[in-house]
Amino acid sequence: MNGIHDLGGMHGLGPVLREDNEPAFHEPWEGRAFALFASTFVFAGYTVDEFRHAIEKIAPAHYLESSYYEHWMFAFEEALMKRGFVTREELDARIAQLKNGGH
Amino acid sequence: MLLTPEIVPGLLATGASARVAADVAPRFQVGDLIRVRNHNPATHTRLPGYLRGKLGTVERDYGVFAFPDTHAHGLGEKPQHCYSVRFTARELWGATAPERDTLRVDVFDDYADPV
Repeated sequence: MNGIHDLGGMHGLGPVLREDNEPAFHEPWEGRAFALFASTFVFAGYTVDEFRHAIEKIAPAHYLESSYYEHWMFAFEEALMKRGFVTREELDARIAQLKNGGH
Repeated sequence: MLLTPEIVPGLLATGASARVAADVAPRFQVGDLIRVRNHNPATHTRLPGYLRGKLGTVERDYGVFAFPDTHAHGLGEKPQHCYSVRFTARELWGATAPERDTLRVDVFDDYADPV
């Protein structure tokens, strides 16, 4: 797929920035997202390649503006929706609940 | 299948490796010159677009892996060799690229033709 993820050789994106003493996770939710890979990989039974392809399908502008683990979250949602574990409506309802201060 | 504690260390150590224990003959040997195919599917591929049509030299054979282009779509593992292939910066980016710079990229058998 010839998409925005295939950035090699593109100009104008600025230097690759290296962070001194970079932590494994910048936010606690990133650690939880990392752990979700193992559990969803095993019970949803997707392949690493399907996971990568899901990330390629993120809308191009959003892909560039979102972070590494946001890409992962998108791939989890895709894999789980595809297999009927969760629906878009359920995810949207949960997001709305959290935005409104819910737990 | 549910995730159990015994599964986790292996999964983390290999990064959910797609290595396949299949006896498949390699199409290329270390030292071979290859040309990358003009392979541009609308579906998943691990071939970076900037390699299409480029010449490179096989530097290492990693062994046999599931082919990402089919594996991503439930079309089977199509196990095949994956190589580290060396490309010169000038081959990739043209005459103004630094003369001595090279880049190594993982290339599957199905991405390349012999020269």
